[in-house]
Amino acid sequence: MFLARIDGTVVPASKHATLEGCRFLVAQRLEADGSASAEPLVLIDLLGAASGSTVLVSTDGDIARERFGNTTPGRMVVVGIVDPASNGRAA
Amino acid sequence: MRLGIVRGHVTLTPAIPQLLGLTLVVLEPVTMANLRAKNGLGGGKSLVAVDALGAAKGQMVAFTEGSEAANPFWPNRVPVDAYCTLIVDSITTGKS
Repeated sequence: MFLARIDGTVVPASKHATLEGCRFLVAQRLEADGSASAEPLVLIDLLGAASGSTVLVSTDGDIARERFGNTTPGRMVVVGIVDPASNGRAA
Repeated sequence: MRLGIVRGHVTLTPAIPQLLGLTLVVLEPVTMANLRAKNGLGGGKSLVAVDALGAAKGQMVAFTEGSEAANPFWPNRVPVDAYCTLIVDSITTGKS
């Protein structure tokens, strides 16, 4: 799992049939010092994360398979939204 | 998933049976700077992915990597580690 900051949303022209109705976000993985990685990621969002928020991402496909079936290629899923008061940093 | 721009297609003759009939695309991953600039450039190291959505040259896709990339072929086992999960219509990003 890792932390990522939400940058925006992706509107798909087409997508794998198992992911019909999903919300997709663009995010950047965060380092411990708060800096963002150079390559954007596309996440599946089940929680309604807002742009600018910090989220916890799991790269385990099990949660996607559980929800979207065994044939889903879904992998990176937002599994939590970091409490803004904690700033996404370790206490 | 990462984002990549389709730069071309790959035809295999011959190939192992599990890959016959699949469409393979060459993807160039997109960096955040290029995504924000909307300049059509990628900037990442190229890779080959399976595409079942019919992505055309120049289109941007989001692709899954790792063992999950083979899930669409379940319960068959195929040696695929990158799969085009969606074709991008548009992306809205906030502040740079």
